[in-house]
Amino acid sequence: MNPGKPDSLISPEWLRYLERLSFLSRKRSRSSQRGERRSRARGHSVEFADHRNYVVGDDLRYLDWNLLGRLDRLFLKIYEEERELPLHLFVDLSESMNFGTPSKFDVARQIAAAMGYVALNGFDRVHLNLFPNSAAQGAQGLPPRHLRGKGSSMRLLDHLSALRPGGQGSLNQALQEAARGNRRQGTVMVISDFMDPDGYESGLKAWCSQGMDVHAFMVLASEELNPTLHGDLRLVDCENGSHEEVTFGRHQLKAYQATLQGYLDQIQNFCRRHAIGFHLVPSHINLESWLLADLRKAMLWK
Amino acid sequence: MQFLTPTAFWFALTLPVIIAFYLLKRRRQTRVVSTSLLWTRFLAEHQANAPFQKLRRHWLLLLQLLILSLAILALARPLIQGNGLEREWLIVLIDTSASMQSTDVKPSRMEQAHREVEALIETMDETDQMMLIAAGYPTRVIQSATSSKTDLRRALGKIPAADTGTRLAEGLKLASTFAEGLEAVQIHLFTDGAISDLKDQQWPEADLVYHPIGQGGENVGIVSMDIRPNPEDPTSTAIFAGIANYGSQPRELILELSLDDQLVEGRPLDIAAGATASQTFIANQPEEGVFKLSINLKDDLEIDNEVSLVSRLPKSASVLLVSQGNRFLERAISSIPGLALAVTDTWDPLASEQADLIILDGILPESLPAKHLLAIDVFPQAWFEKVTPEESPTVVDWLATHPIMRFSPLDNVSIASAGGIKAPSWATPIVEASQTPLILAGEEQGRRVVWLGFNPLNSTWPLRVSFPIFVQNAIQWLTAPEQESSWGNLHTGEALVTGADHDSDTVNIRLPDGSVQSLSLNPETTQFVFSDTFSQGIYQIEHRDMIERFASNLLDPSESDTGPRSTIQLGDYGQITASTQERAQVESWRPILLLALSVLLFEWFYYHRRTV
Repeated sequence: MNPGKPDSLISPEWLRYLERLSFLSRKRSRSSQRGERRSRARGHSVEFADHRNYVVGDDLRYLDWNLLGRLDRLFLKIYEEERELPLHLFVDLSESMNFGTPSKFDVARQIAAAMGYVALNGFDRVHLNLFPNSAAQGAQGLPPRHLRGKGSSMRLLDHLSALRPGGQGSLNQALQEAARGNRRQGTVMVISDFMDPDGYESGLKAWCSQGMDVHAFMVLASEELNPTLHGDLRLVDCENGSHEEVTFGRHQLKAYQATLQGYLDQIQNFCRRHAIGFHLVPSHINLESWLLADLRKAMLWK
Repeated sequence: MQFLTPTAFWFALTLPVIIAFYLLKRRRQTRVVSTSLLWTRFLAEHQANAPFQKLRRHWLLLLQLLILSLAILALARPLIQGNGLEREWLIVLIDTSASMQSTDVKPSRMEQAHREVEALIETMDETDQMMLIAAGYPTRVIQSATSSKTDLRRALGKIPAADTGTRLAEGLKLASTFAEGLEAVQIHLFTDGAISDLKDQQWPEADLVYHPIGQGGENVGIVSMDIRPNPEDPTSTAIFAGIANYGSQPRELILELSLDDQLVEGRPLDIAAGATASQTFIANQPEEGVFKLSINLKDDLEIDNEVSLVSRLPKSASVLLVSQGNRFLERAISSIPGLALAVTDTWDPLASEQADLIILDGILPESLPAKHLLAIDVFPQAWFEKVTPEESPTVVDWLATHPIMRFSPLDNVSIASAGGIKAPSWATPIVEASQTPLILAGEEQGRRVVWLGFNPLNSTWPLRVSFPIFVQNAIQWLTAPEQESSWGNLHTGEALVTGADHDSDTVNIRLPDGSVQSLSLNPETTQFVFSDTFSQGIYQIEHRDMIERFASNLLDPSESDTGPRSTIQLGDYGQITASTQERAQVESWRPILLLALSVLLFEWFYYHRRTV
């Protein structure tokens, strides 16, 4: 994408819609950085939280003078500290994402751009994790690890626009490595086709165990949902080159769809068990209405 | 089911080859997919890895196996047990009569019969034996029993349709003789059904299968022709002809009569469907010649559209009439040309020595003369042991086919009395009353005899026109055969018997097609027999300077009636029905091969439908 034209990923009208949105996190922020998210930390904001007894050394500005007048005892008003809610964006750039019309990769980075834009717009920190690393080192070099503030949104969009898919990646490995270096609670959004032969379970679990609010966005192309293949075929995996010989035709379509549905059910069950939000995104979907309507219904943002 | 070539099942060993091809070498199109994860799961769940289960839904393989199996089955030449009759021996009887020349089926009925026999030969297996018999003049075995289809086909090509009538009875007798003692015999009759000689035939002890030949019957033919002196004017010749239309449409035609190729008369004739028209021509004939009557009409059968008859001028014969007076008889005799008539009222042995024919009208000499006799109302003891008078005998039947009774019906003839006798063994009753024969004819001790058991003057017969015809017929029959004007006119296939010249050893006979046959004569015999009269036309006997002609004609109404018949009467009660009976064991490789071809086409269609 041309950095001067970020609207090819997200149009200006879209951005105006997105600016009105803010994430609804199911978790309270534990970040140490101040932000606009309610947190468990007490601090200085306008949101009253509780009273406590005055001890020597407390700031007299927070004394509750009304209670002192009524009860003749010293109480201190405690306010909630508003902190930032970090957003970890994981975008799958493997070769398998370069598939379908429109390609799954285009849809994935549009979702990432929208999520990142909303987060940055809400003064949340955005951690952009791209895997595999070989593809992540695109024309723009290494991705910006941390982005914060509305001003960084253009950097995010520019970088996403410049990405090209390729290579073979491990979803588990990417998620686990990132989880090990994380110390702050926040939201994790994984955008992938979840078609890794090594699975996805251990990676997602690594984030769930840290009490993160995890969302999985599974992007599938229409060719994967309803294949139009016929005849005696040798199917080659674009990532690892493995192949399967299959005789396929219209009569096997139902059997294939049953297999696919079984796989989707398996992911959904896993996500339900671990309180992970699961979102299936066909690549031919109307992304605008999906982002603005369906995700609102899913209480991802408001 | 049996198989003629069960060794073909060795080809079944090729079946696993197709399976091996499928297992080892299947052309697959390469397609790149985003991931093989789903396909691996799909294959694991829905397509087992075991080799034979892989083949489970390969319809193409199943179809190809089916095609190969059908081809192997066809190679094994299966025999299907049908509802037909068991057979091992086939006796094929082919009618070679003139009606088989009909062209209602193209090119001719004979060709159709050949085709059907060839089809029958095709159904034979190695154990079947077939014999070919041509039923005609003469009936002969064309091919003795063999299982060689080549020999049978070659022999079949030698059977042409002749100009003769049908002689199926003899063929059936021959076939029955061969069939005796054999089991599983079928006699196959290939004929158009124009048969008249099976009335006395017994049902053979074999399965009789009738294959009717021919479809139409649009034929007009000359079915009878006769030449005799004109009864009204003995100096001229009368030609009587019968023309029959056996078709379903009325026909207009022109009859042409010619004498020695000179046109005598052309006569238009309208003839209704199914009708027979009798025509009489009167012609002046100064010398011996050949009358040819022809129909200029294109119909199914051509051979009966032309008849040639040799007409001789009658030689004079002397007749002695011994009578007390019979004007009717005398007038009838005197109207016959070429007769020298002497009349006497008493028996005179000397006068009888001079006569060729003696008519005894109520007068019986002591000893019968050794001459041809027309005996009227006399009862010699040498002939009849006992005579009982019969009052008012009623004529119940007469033999209309006998030459004496030709054109001489006895309808409404009343007779006052007759002598009741028992016919002697040499005589044939040609007119019969209820109790006794009235007229006899036969040959006795070298002479021909016609006997009337009543006095015509005591009957109404002399008042009928049939009486002078009868007298003329009787005198013609009684005089020597060589004096008959109709001598030398044969039906095709009939043998000619004629006197031989003692001075020559050989005689040449020129056939209608121009070829000449030489016959060696036995000096001890006074006659020779020529039997090769199978072609219609004029034959010439050439010996020394003499040339004598005779004619051979079909003149057979049953041959001219070419309409197809679904049944043939056999004997008094038997009836052969046109059979579509199939053989008991039918070779069925052809339909199987056709089925294999159909499956192959379907497989081709399915392959393209599946891979598009």
